[in-house]
Amino acid sequence: MAAVPVTIVSGFLGAGKTTLLNRILNSDPSDKGKGLKVAVMVNDFGELNIDSQLVVSAEQNMISLENGCICCTVESDLIAQLRKLLQLREGRPDAILIETSGVSEPSKVVNTLRYPEFENHLTVDAVISVLDAEQFTGLEGSNKRLAMDQLSVADIVVINKVDLVSDEQLQNLKDNWLFPNACVYETTYGELPLALLLGQQAHRTVQDEHEDHSCDEHCQHQHDDFYSASWQSEQPLKIKALKSFFHNLPASVYRAKGFVRLSGAEQQMFLLHKVGSRLSIDRQLHWQGELNNQLVFIASAELDKTQLAADLAACTA
Amino acid sequence: MSLSEASLPKGKDYRSSHTGHGAGKADTVFENGRIYTVNPAQEWAEAVAVKDGVFVAVGSRADMTPFIDEHTQVVDLKDRFIMPGLYDMHTHPDLTLAPGYAGYLDVGLEDPAPAQVKQSILDYAEANPNSEWIFGQYFVHFHFKREGIEADKNWLDSFISDRPVAVHDRSWGCILVNSKALERAGIDANTPDPRNGFIERDGITGEPTGILVDGAYSLIHAAMPPTPALALQRAYREGIQYQTSRGVVGTKYVHVCENRLDALKVVDDAGEMTLRVEAAISWQDDIFPVRRRWELLAGERHYYRSARLNANAVKFHFDGTHGSYSSYLSTPWPGQSEWRGGLNLTPEHIVDMVVDMDRRGIRVIAHCVGDGASDLFLDAVAEARKRNGPNGVRHQCAHSTVLLDENLPRFKELNVVAEFSPVGWLPEPYARAREVMGEERFDRMYNFKGVLDHGGLAVMGTDWPVSTINCWVGFEAMMTRKNPWFDNDETFHGHAITVEQAIRVMTINGAHCMGIEDSAGSIEVGKSADFIALDRNLFELELQGNVHNTQVDLTMMAGQVVWDRSGELSNTPLQAPLNPDNVTNFYDK
Repeated sequence: MAAVPVTIVSGFLGAGKTTLLNRILNSDPSDKGKGLKVAVMVNDFGELNIDSQLVVSAEQNMISLENGCICCTVESDLIAQLRKLLQLREGRPDAILIETSGVSEPSKVVNTLRYPEFENHLTVDAVISVLDAEQFTGLEGSNKRLAMDQLSVADIVVINKVDLVSDEQLQNLKDNWLFPNACVYETTYGELPLALLLGQQAHRTVQDEHEDHSCDEHCQHQHDDFYSASWQSEQPLKIKALKSFFHNLPASVYRAKGFVRLSGAEQQMFLLHKVGSRLSIDRQLHWQGELNNQLVFIASAELDKTQLAADLAACTA
Repeated sequence: MSLSEASLPKGKDYRSSHTGHGAGKADTVFENGRIYTVNPAQEWAEAVAVKDGVFVAVGSRADMTPFIDEHTQVVDLKDRFIMPGLYDMHTHPDLTLAPGYAGYLDVGLEDPAPAQVKQSILDYAEANPNSEWIFGQYFVHFHFKREGIEADKNWLDSFISDRPVAVHDRSWGCILVNSKALERAGIDANTPDPRNGFIERDGITGEPTGILVDGAYSLIHAAMPPTPALALQRAYREGIQYQTSRGVVGTKYVHVCENRLDALKVVDDAGEMTLRVEAAISWQDDIFPVRRRWELLAGERHYYRSARLNANAVKFHFDGTHGSYSSYLSTPWPGQSEWRGGLNLTPEHIVDMVVDMDRRGIRVIAHCVGDGASDLFLDAVAEARKRNGPNGVRHQCAHSTVLLDENLPRFKELNVVAEFSPVGWLPEPYARAREVMGEERFDRMYNFKGVLDHGGLAVMGTDWPVSTINCWVGFEAMMTRKNPWFDNDETFHGHAITVEQAIRVMTINGAHCMGIEDSAGSIEVGKSADFIALDRNLFELELQGNVHNTQVDLTMMAGQVVWDRSGELSNTPLQAPLNPDNVTNFYDK
């Protein structure tokens, strides 16, 4: 069974996390069967606004919705709750989204997901830090520490409520808090493309577009405000050049995923996962498929695919 | 007067069957007290006479007259409430204090930048050429990310590669080490991840990056030299001093190794052990390694034995904690179909171990948080009684957070002490976190009353740093089930016990738990002259809000006044070594 991707959303109270979560929980189940079964883990149901029409069943700390989504409270123990989700006989989620409360350290959640116990069952898809542009100035003491923790593990930084601050304040926030190569998404009402939140959604949508329109692999589409491109090749890539290529990609490319061959280890395949500013390349132990490079890119702005292909070709040995 | 001058007679004054019996007049008489003796045959007295550290008379002022001559010191207790000294049967001053006294690296900045962390390490290396390891705190991931620096072994190696370095991150979620530290700890691409953490690795080569997360940093701790002796000595010394100032005359330091015993012996030999200590040798290496475990258990522990110190106990961690859902319950956790929690050792392991230790005369102190763990532990003791006979050692069920009703009579039947620890039986967030066990267990939480009603022995332990080292907080809450600081009637689950019961729990029951009930624990002729003088009478006050902040004016231990809060005896031969000027207050500061 494939590992279930987990997205972590952190942010202070009032930053706009709930808007994001509600969007997923209340998504239309009839949308061509594309609705993913998402388990959303929150601290308190009270934060959410679940349409009661959608509720199929509710027990203790778990609510099942008509669209297949599950919503549960984490209470005090994340590990036990994750175990429980993975053991569900029916309705094992396609994706898990964990909302870390405004008072807990998201780095601890990220670390827990990487324990050996979950190694083959869960994978960290994306860590998203939602900042309230207005709230984020003048943080002190434990709140400041927490903000640093949130940003230190963030792959994608969402700056919400940008309409409530001046350009100068926004620039201050960026100067004081952002890191080099940060992937930043600015918004006003926590309205984010689902593809930004959930890797599954992003890749599934790319596939759907291919099927629906039966277009070729280099086709670009606008869907849910994002653009995609894919690339294939058989030549092994040089790791240094590849890393440098990803480092220099425009910030609008917030996701890339695929498999690559690397020179020096041509008989092996590596899983490449870029989300926001994080790039991970991991050796696949039991690869059965063909030894080809296959990469998919997802961006918030149109991609120059010719340039992309040329740059990637330059990475081959 | 120094502590050593004030310490108990040593050497020539030991007593045995045919020598050294105290005879004749008393050294000291304490009169005009309201003395609650905890002796059912004579509950109250107004005066006591002490000779050679032992009570020779307990009764009225007139009863003292035959014991007084011109050498007898007569002390006015000023109508104060007097009771036997207290027993804290589970605590850890070493774990709480020693790391801070070890002289480890401390960057000393709230928000250090990478360059500042680097400079601190280099300064420390230069200032400490003889301590090979450079270990301490802390770095902040965020600042590395801001500056585009990868916090990994390459960064550390770039400026220090000849000595092992390990630096915790600010939230203690991981530790950053250099290549030399990895090498010393034997961590490489082939090292398996520990259960409760992981070694961060390069995705392509599998080589460790130098970041070790959660449980993985114990791999580094195991490779490091033990906590320095001076740090352990200071931790124990200060812990003992504070406990003495709160009226504690007997305590257990639960979890020791050979280095900790060495430190305790230094304190004891210096005459600074102002209370009795039972030290329990760790059965597992989960907190620190015990390299000489089997030598200690086989008999080397006797090397440390004195009137004040013994290591005739062993401590093991049987189950986990409620906070992590790992305490072992008798039925599945709420909302779970099968999960009952975890055991660190098999039941078979426990049976053989308890039987073996019981035969050796070693007390087994078993960490049993869940009602399933204590059930198995009592089964193991039952097996030990069957195989070794009924007169073995009195074993101790530690924490006993939730007990099965069926097990309440077994504490008496099997001669096992139920220890309730930490101070979790008052309504506060820490105790509330235990409610995850589920409602059906609420009434069985911290069930002092259940054990006592069935004739069993119950004791308390502060379990510092899990809860405060001031045992008066728990003392109050076991009688009120209320929070001493809340101005409302919110009551914790379960049942309160009476003042008389609570005083027994804090005194004579502790003496039973240490196996010294015949010579200490109550104010009786022939017993060790231990008592405390309080600034209030526990029988004449509103308990809630008024017991936890009781002040101990005097602590007497084996006839020696060891704590004198206001210096009332400072110009007499009974001058105490400890007073508020030389005891660190770990509670009120």
